[in-house]
Amino acid sequence: MKAAVEWIGWFFLGYLVLLNGGYIALNLLAIPTLRRRLAREPLATLPTAYCGLEPPVSLLVPAYNEERTIASSVRSLLQLDYPEFEIVVVNDGSKDGTLAALSAAFDLEPYPEAYWRRLEAKPVRAIYRSRTAAGLRVVDKENGGKADALNVGINASRHPYFCAIDADSILERDSLRRVMEPFVDDPSTVVSGGTVRIANGCTVSGGHLERVALPRNPLALFQIVEYLRAFLFGRLGWTTLNAVLIISGAFGVFRKDVIVAAGGYRADTIGEDMELVVRLHRVLRERREPYAIHFVPDPVCWTEAPEDLAILKGQRIRWQRGLAESLHKNIELLRYGGGGPAGLLAYPFFLVFECYGPLLEVAGYVCTVALWALGYISLTQMLLFMLLAFSLGFLLSVSALLLEEMSYHLYPRGSQFAALVLVAIAENLGYRQLVTWWRLVGLSRWLRGAQSTWGTMTRKGSWQK
Amino acid sequence: MGLASFSDGYSGFSAAVSTVALALAALLLITITVLRASRSWHAARLARHEATWREALLRAMEMPDTDLPPIPRSLLPAFASYWNRIRASLKGPAAENLGAPLRRGGLEPRVLAMLGSGSLRLRLIAATTLGYLRARSAWEPLARMARLPSPELSSTAAQALLRIDADAALDLLAAELVDRDDWSLARLGSLFKELGPDAITPGLARIIASRPPRGAHRIVRLARFGQRKSMGLAVREWLRTSGDAQVLESALDYVEDTHDLAQVRGAARHGDWRVRIAAARALGRIGSRPELAVLLELLSDPQWWVRYHAAQAVTALHGLDPGEVQALQRLATDPFAAQMLAQALADRTPAA
Repeated sequence: MKAAVEWIGWFFLGYLVLLNGGYIALNLLAIPTLRRRLAREPLATLPTAYCGLEPPVSLLVPAYNEERTIASSVRSLLQLDYPEFEIVVVNDGSKDGTLAALSAAFDLEPYPEAYWRRLEAKPVRAIYRSRTAAGLRVVDKENGGKADALNVGINASRHPYFCAIDADSILERDSLRRVMEPFVDDPSTVVSGGTVRIANGCTVSGGHLERVALPRNPLALFQIVEYLRAFLFGRLGWTTLNAVLIISGAFGVFRKDVIVAAGGYRADTIGEDMELVVRLHRVLRERREPYAIHFVPDPVCWTEAPEDLAILKGQRIRWQRGLAESLHKNIELLRYGGGGPAGLLAYPFFLVFECYGPLLEVAGYVCTVALWALGYISLTQMLLFMLLAFSLGFLLSVSALLLEEMSYHLYPRGSQFAALVLVAIAENLGYRQLVTWWRLVGLSRWLRGAQSTWGTMTRKGSWQK
Repeated sequence: MGLASFSDGYSGFSAAVSTVALALAALLLITITVLRASRSWHAARLARHEATWREALLRAMEMPDTDLPPIPRSLLPAFASYWNRIRASLKGPAAENLGAPLRRGGLEPRVLAMLGSGSLRLRLIAATTLGYLRARSAWEPLARMARLPSPELSSTAAQALLRIDADAALDLLAAELVDRDDWSLARLGSLFKELGPDAITPGLARIIASRPPRGAHRIVRLARFGQRKSMGLAVREWLRTSGDAQVLESALDYVEDTHDLAQVRGAARHGDWRVRIAAARALGRIGSRPELAVLLELLSDPQWWVRYHAAQAVTALHGLDPGEVQALQRLATDPFAAQMLAQALADRTPAA
C-alpha cells in the first residue's frame, strides 16, 4: 500500500513538472523565431509600395445574430491596408436583423452569382452585393453553424487565399499585410495565423485599436497573462518546429485550393478552426506534400475577453470540447509514422497535457488532499506539492512576461508591469484551478457526446467608441 | 502512516524544484526590470538624437551640403534604421540629396563594417542603407551575401545590389532571380517598380533571351515592370515555343494585339485550367466576334474559374453589345453558361 501511495504521489509530482516544463520549453523554443522576426522589424516597417504581385485575399466573415456590431465590423474591414481583397459576409440564418443591418448600411442589391458549390453546405438563399462598398458581398444562407457558414464563404470567394475573421474581431490597419507576409516570403505556406490579444481596457475607435491599456476587471487581467503564457509564446514555440496545431478562427489566412482539397471545415465539430489545422497536418503529411503553417506573433487582432464567470466558463467548456474533438478526429496523425514534429511532438503534447491534462491535474489536487486527509502524507508534504504547483506556474507566467518585454512591450508603464506581476502570482491561487475544472467539465461533455452549436458570447464592448 | 509513509525524497524533490523555480522567477523579474529601465533610457536618448537627426536630414533634402551631427558608434544602427525609413519614403532629388551627408561624414565605411556583424538585424539594416546609398564599395560583400542560404540576408543583399546598379545586378543575379523561390516575387516587384522600367528592361531582356531552363515564369511575371513593348516582344516569343504551363499563363498576359490570336486560341484548349483562364482573359482583351465560338466552348469548361473568365471575356468582346450577350444567355442550353453570363452582365454594371 505504501509503495502504491508513494507511486501515486510521485506520478502527480512528475506530471506537474512535465506540464510546466513543457510550456517553459515552448517559451524557449519561441525565442529564435521571435528574434528572427524582431531582426526583420526595421525592414518590415519601411514604407513599401504595393506592386500588384501580392496575393489577393477573400475575407470571410461568418455572422450569426450580429445585428448590433456587423456594420461597424465590416466598415473597419473595408479600411484595411492591403492592395486587393474582397469581403464576403455570410449570414448564417440569423434570427435577428443582421441582414437588414447590412442592407441598410451598405445598400445591398441582389446579385445573380453563379454560386459554385465546391464544398457541401446548407443551401444559399440569396447573394447580395453592395452598391456603396466595392468588393463587399453578403451571402444569406440557412443556419448550419460557423463551419458551414465558412464553407459557404469559401464557395463564394473569388481569390486564391481566404481569411476567416470573427465578426467581432478588432484588427490593426496593417493586420492583413502582416498575416499575408508568410505567403509572400515562403511559397510552401498553406496557413498563416494572427495573434489574438485581449482588447478589454484598450481604446477602440472606428473598429480599430487606438490605445493599449490593461482592464480593471480581474478576470480579464488573468486572461491577459494566460493568453501570453499559453496562446502566444506557446504557439510561437510550435511554429519553430512547424507543428502549430491551432490557428485561431478569429483571424487566420488559408490557401484555398489546399483547404478545398482537404474537404473544408467540418460542420460536425465545435472547434472547427483547430480541427482543420490538425487535419491539414495529417492530410499533407500523408500526401508527403511540403507545407508550412505559420503563426504571426505580432499583435494584429484584438478580441473582447469574458469579464463574467458564467460566460468564461461556457467559453472554456466549448474550447475543451473542440480540442478533444479535433484531436480524436485526426488520431491518424499520431499513428501515422511520418507525422513529423506535428505528429510526434505536438499531437502527443496536446493529447496528454491539453486534452486529458485537466483530468490529471484535478486528480492530482484531489489525491494530494485525500492522501493528507487519510494521513498518508503530512501537511508539510501537501503544502510542498501546492507550493510546487504555484512556483512552476509563476515561473511560466514570468517567462511569458519576459518574452513580451523582449518583443512587443505593449504595456510600458511601471504600474502596468506591477499589475501583471501581481496577476501572475494571483492567477495560481484559484484562477488556474478553476479553469482546469471547467476544462474537465468540457472533456466530460465531449465524452458524453453533447451537440455542437454556434458559441454564444455576450460582448460588452464598453471600450468601443 | 503519516510522514513515515512518504520518503524524504518526495519532500526534498518538491522543495528543491520549488526553490529553483522561485529563484528563476525572481531572476527573470530582475531581468525584466533591468530591461525595462534600459529600454526606457535608450528610448529617451534615441528620442533626443532623432530630433537632431530629423532636423539635419530635413535640411539635407534641400541642401545636400548639410552636415550631420556626430553619430556615436552605439547609435549607428538606430541612425541607419531611421535614415532608411526617411529614405524609403522619398523620391526624386530629395531622396538623392539625403545620401550626401552620410558619404561626406564618413558613415559609408562604418555602415559597411556593420555588414560584417554577426547580428542578423544589423546586417539587414546595413545592407538596406548601403543599397539606398548606392555604395559601390559594398558591391563585393553584398554579392557574397546575396548567395547566402538565408532568404532574409540574400534577398536584402540582392535588393541593395539592384539599387546600386540594376543592370549589373540583373546580370550578376540572373540565376538566383530565376531559381530562388524563397525570394518573394512581390518584394522584387515592388523594388522593380521603384527602380523604373528604364533601369531594369535591358537586364530583364537579357535574362529572357538566355531562355532559363526552369523558373522562367518568375522572370515573365517580373517582366511586367519593364518597358511593356520590349518585354512584350521577348515574352510573347515564348507563347510559340514554351510548353511550360506557368510560363504560358504569365506570357498570355502580354498579349495585346491580334498577332498572337492563333497561339491564344491554342492555349484555350490547353490541359492546364490556369492557362485556359489566361487565354480567356486574353481573348477578352483582343478578341472580337470570331472568337465567340472559342469563348462559348470555354463557358462549358469543367473549371468554374474558366467559365467565369470566359463569361467576363464574352461581355468584353469588341463588336458585341449587351443585348446580344443577353440573347446568348437566354438561348444557352448549358445552365452553367447561362448563370455565368448573367453574373458577368451584372458585373458590367458595377454596383459601386
